[in-house]
Amino acid sequence: MKGTLVNLNVNPCKMCMPMGVATAFYGIKKCMTILHGSQGCSTYIRRHMATHYNEPVDIASSSLTEEGTVYGGERSLILGLLNLIKVYEPEVIGVATTCLAETIGEDISRIINKFYEQYPEHKKVTIIPVSSAGYGGTQFEGYSNTLYQIIKSVPMDTRKNGRVNIVTGMLSPADIRYLKEVLESFQIDYILFPDLSENLDGGYHPNYDKLPQKGTDIKDIAQMAGADYTIELTPFVEESISVGTYLQEVYNVPCKKCNPPVGLRDNDYFIQLLSVITKIPVPRALKEKRARLLDAMIDGHKYNSEARAVIYGDPDFVYSSVRMCVENGVVPIVTATGTLCSGFKDMILMEIKDLMDHYFIDRYDILEDVDFQTLEELAKERKANVFIGNSDGRRMAEKLGVDLVRRGFPIHDRVGGQRLRMVGYEGSLTFLDDITNVIIGRKETGFREELLKLYYKPEGTYQAKELGYDELEDSIALTNGKTVESEQKDINSSAIKASENRDRDQDALVHKNTNRNMKEKTIEEKTATHPCFSCGAAHQYARMHLPIAPKCNISCNYCVRKYDCPNESRPGVTTHVLNPMEALHKFLEVKEKVSKLSVIGIAGPGDALANFKETKRTLELIREKDADITFCLSTNGLMLPQYADDLVKLGVSHVTVTMNAIDPTVGAQIYKYVDYMGVKYYGETGAAILLSNQLAGIKMLTEQGIVCKVNIVMLKGINDYHIPDIVKKVKELGGSITNIMPLIPVKGSVFENLPLVSKDELMAMRSNCGETLKQMFHCRQCRADAIGTLGEELSTIKNPSVHIAVATKNGTLVDQHFGQVSELYIYEYKNGASFYKERRPIKKYCDGASECNNNEYKIKAIMEAISDCTAVITMRIGEGPKNQLKQQGIRVFTMYDRVEDCVLQAAALITDGIKNRKKDKEVLYDKA
Amino acid sequence: MMNSIVLEERKDFILQKQEGCQGSSMRCDANSISGAVSQRACVYCGARVVLNPITDAFHIVHGPIGCASYTWDIRGSLSSGDDLYRNSFSTDLREKDVIFGGEKKLTAAIEEIAKKYHPKLIFVYATCIVGVIGDDVEAVCKSMSAKYKMRVIPVKSPGFSGNKSVGYKMACNAIMELMGPHRPEKKNGVNILGDFNLAGEVWIVKDYLKKIGIPVISTITGDSNYESLINAPAAQLNIVQCAGSSTYLATRMEEEMGIPYIKISFYGIEDTIDSLVRIAEAMKEEAARRKAVEFGEAEKAKLRNFLESYRKNLVGKKAAIYVGGGFKAISLIKQFHSLGMETVVVGTQTGKKEDYEVIESMVNENTVILDDANPAELETFIRDKGADILVGGVKERPLAYKLGIAFCDHNHERKHPLCGFEGVVNFTKEINLSLLSPVWKYIKQEVVV
Repeated sequence: MKGTLVNLNVNPCKMCMPMGVATAFYGIKKCMTILHGSQGCSTYIRRHMATHYNEPVDIASSSLTEEGTVYGGERSLILGLLNLIKVYEPEVIGVATTCLAETIGEDISRIINKFYEQYPEHKKVTIIPVSSAGYGGTQFEGYSNTLYQIIKSVPMDTRKNGRVNIVTGMLSPADIRYLKEVLESFQIDYILFPDLSENLDGGYHPNYDKLPQKGTDIKDIAQMAGADYTIELTPFVEESISVGTYLQEVYNVPCKKCNPPVGLRDNDYFIQLLSVITKIPVPRALKEKRARLLDAMIDGHKYNSEARAVIYGDPDFVYSSVRMCVENGVVPIVTATGTLCSGFKDMILMEIKDLMDHYFIDRYDILEDVDFQTLEELAKERKANVFIGNSDGRRMAEKLGVDLVRRGFPIHDRVGGQRLRMVGYEGSLTFLDDITNVIIGRKETGFREELLKLYYKPEGTYQAKELGYDELEDSIALTNGKTVESEQKDINSSAIKASENRDRDQDALVHKNTNRNMKEKTIEEKTATHPCFSCGAAHQYARMHLPIAPKCNISCNYCVRKYDCPNESRPGVTTHVLNPMEALHKFLEVKEKVSKLSVIGIAGPGDALANFKETKRTLELIREKDADITFCLSTNGLMLPQYADDLVKLGVSHVTVTMNAIDPTVGAQIYKYVDYMGVKYYGETGAAILLSNQLAGIKMLTEQGIVCKVNIVMLKGINDYHIPDIVKKVKELGGSITNIMPLIPVKGSVFENLPLVSKDELMAMRSNCGETLKQMFHCRQCRADAIGTLGEELSTIKNPSVHIAVATKNGTLVDQHFGQVSELYIYEYKNGASFYKERRPIKKYCDGASECNNNEYKIKAIMEAISDCTAVITMRIGEGPKNQLKQQGIRVFTMYDRVEDCVLQAAALITDGIKNRKKDKEVLYDKA
Repeated sequence: MMNSIVLEERKDFILQKQEGCQGSSMRCDANSISGAVSQRACVYCGARVVLNPITDAFHIVHGPIGCASYTWDIRGSLSSGDDLYRNSFSTDLREKDVIFGGEKKLTAAIEEIAKKYHPKLIFVYATCIVGVIGDDVEAVCKSMSAKYKMRVIPVKSPGFSGNKSVGYKMACNAIMELMGPHRPEKKNGVNILGDFNLAGEVWIVKDYLKKIGIPVISTITGDSNYESLINAPAAQLNIVQCAGSSTYLATRMEEEMGIPYIKISFYGIEDTIDSLVRIAEAMKEEAARRKAVEFGEAEKAKLRNFLESYRKNLVGKKAAIYVGGGFKAISLIKQFHSLGMETVVVGTQTGKKEDYEVIESMVNENTVILDDANPAELETFIRDKGADILVGGVKERPLAYKLGIAFCDHNHERKHPLCGFEGVVNFTKEINLSLLSPVWKYIKQEVVV
């Protein structure tokens, strides 16, 4: 699945209300539940619960039929109650409605009254109605509402009894048992409501009793009105159905609402509260447990701080988990609940904001009413490395190769979901350890391979760097040949996978374990982060086109050679061509500034493959410095069959081929000639040669797993009718996407006056072809030297070249007084990079007392020595020399820093000035 | 023999075999009784079971969230291609939709899918309240089909409209509707009906058929897709594995397309061999028949020692069976028999009269036979009859364990194949490892404290 569907819930992150009802009633002693509705509801809920709790779960159904639906289900429900009492002999029965019963308007309170009237002998059975339409909310609301309905239905005994009510949300049986232990350690006479700790996690006994024998006794519930306090541990329960609030308002039982004791703060608060209520000091054993949690928090904190967690589930669960995570530096990068819950977003935001600020994280999400499709997308986008929640996240975890820390309900893919803990100091510690271990696990299993890939370079390439590439070209080819071979194998195997996956609507990232999988991940990831191939990446990731390929080998009728090739680039601006070494420097410089730089492209200004030597060298040099960056290249395809294998070896993963026709008669109208192997071919012959090479070349690439995009320039009346056929052909050849572009007419070209394609026509063509193959809708027709994301170009304004003299002792720092220098380092700044040119000795300006008077002479000598420089950078300089330099038009910068940094800073100031001056001039011209 | 735990209304659905055959006077194939805690699911469940394995379809559940939530990727049907079917799509109807109707929401959902994915096939399951709130799902499907030139097929499956069997029927109708306009040229080969490729079972059966030289045209619905399904009418013969769910489809295909069918079973050695031979005979392929006999005997010979050694462990043990359909129950009785085990309790959720007749003729005297049993009855009869193992689904498992007996998962969620010769090995091993687990010895020890 790609992209989220807005009109559908895809893979629900919630269940329905009756699920919560059944769960709550399982915490009541000798209680059975009957769902008033279709048979399936109870069976599904039973299955869901049985798999989680590993306990028999018996829930009855009124098994409504067609007749019941039409004429009302009264008879069914009354019969159901009778049968249930006969077989199970319960003391309490919960009657819950379902979607169906609510929709047909069943009044279950009335039916229950009628039942009591008809069968007075069953009056001793407490029957509690709960309205719970499946569409009225989720299991969370169903659960809370059930507690409220129970408390309202049970006749209350208001005599003071000195007990303490504890009301909980949907906690695991193990967590409930822990709560009881703590309460007992404070010698509290408590009423725990509800208590599903035994009924849904019972032991094995020779005699099995199908009616739940444990849980909160209805007689105890009746005493809740006479208790001293209520402690309500469900932060997100709606005020209108809060048991604590109800008891306070109706029976004056003071209510203390607090968070479930998860994490340090909430445990501390809870324990303090119990201590205050009981006036019993905190038991030593608890203090020890607390100390152990603190110790674990310290032990794990560095790992935890690397965690980027997706936390999902019921609001209470998510909130508690988030609070504990935040205490430990685990970043809740995506926090979500499947229900709609007032206050959720604000409360979560309050919890996580500080942590986000501390770690400089500005992109995170808090969502309500979420589904797993959305969660999966966000998890990928935000690079989550741990999931926290129920087992419904297992598919997302499996797909993205991220481990899931299982908590909450349901846990279907592991045993013991009912025994998982998060409450209490110990429970929190276990929970935290599970999270920490996911992060450690990722590190332990991945770090060798990751670091090897990142830092290890084969020996030969180190030499190449030191000696310069010319004389070492052969040895590079040799050593690379060796390493490339093994790499190529990997690419091939990934190619098989890639081609298998091509039609699937999936961009699943595969597990990281095996080498082969590593590669698969790489190629898919590369596409996902390539702004020209993946729409999502267009705004997030940057690419840089290196203008190293000036020559072209075909003549297109829409092109004028003095400008950039319009196939991939915007015509009309001539690019300054770089040699491979300059390209490398430019890359390094830009990379430092643009962190999201993910792609290096060779796109002209001519054809990348007509300048193969330069292309190859540039890519090799960059690959030495950056093992990960994606290589991308665009070409007219003429030389593809010859170089396709080389491109694969070079690690090029994405290739754009401009193919405007698949019929030589059409091609002949577009191309004037084709220069192939030193001979010019005109007309249809030329077009045919080009075409056959394009087809063969694309096939060679796609068969090796290279992602191919085909650009098509839409030419009205020439190839427009023919484009759908081209797209079909591209699909056949295994191409991934086509980019249909409008012609941008260039003055002086054959097609200068060709009628323009309207935006509507273009979009119609794209969506027509979109049925055949994925289309690129976000193309910006970049220049050959474009840098940045597709939305914003970073540095296309041509920078002038300037020379700068630097006063430095050892070439590392600007650390000298101008008066003390015996030599100056000369740097050239161009295209955003500084290049060391030479060391230029000069006579010391101040050679001691005897010649100090002859300042004028020496200054002149220096001026001469640096006459080609625009500026001087020095640590300090006297006023005299400074003025004299200024008079000569040499700017002076006094700085103390690394030489290269100073040069860049100074250059920035100088070029800004130049640009501004240009602007000023333009303004002047305008005025004139 | 009727325990007090058995409800009056339930008594007719339970039978203890007496001397000689009574010709099965027990009731079955009726609606569940209110309050009896039936193990059955609903019409939607039945429909989803049959259609879910169609791998490249969008299965949209039109209704409130629950139905989609509880059926998301819970079945072990495998796919060799698409895995779209493993997602759960729901229109997630809310209060507002119940008041104003859900048609708009459904239409918007289908349009969005159509525009984004250009699918060939969408199923829309109408759940309980859809009809009640007055949504005309059929009309929406029809107009969407026409507008986007794809197949949008409604599956009428409100939970109250019967039991799981009705759901099977609705699914079969949907498949008929899908194949409806397609009449491909006849080809030599069979369709496999009623195999949902749980744990790769369709692949095993296909491989057997390949071995004896019978081509398979289409599998319905295990590991199938749009293209493979519309090709099904080309077959010469339908072979029906899960009779309960797919006989209706086979009958309709026979009546409307002239494709005859035979019922077969690939559970157990004898059934597997007989089925292969019968298929060859039905196809009038003498060579295939010979190959089937040879292949069957060879496989049987390979298993002889294996079974003999396991038989020693298992002989005399008592089994209780509670499964979905009669077909599966019958196969299991045979399999237990071949292992020297006796079936003492046997029941199904949706067995038919003829199924129970067969069952009755197969089991020993005093065996209890139940239709649409509930946990209380199962508990009672398992205890009374002293069963050592229960075969059933997820809901029955915790009950068996609480009663301290072994268990074998024979349901849609299992992750190992139980069909064919491979299945015999898996089944025997599973029975053995559960029955002979040391835990039973320990849990029954009296504790001396």
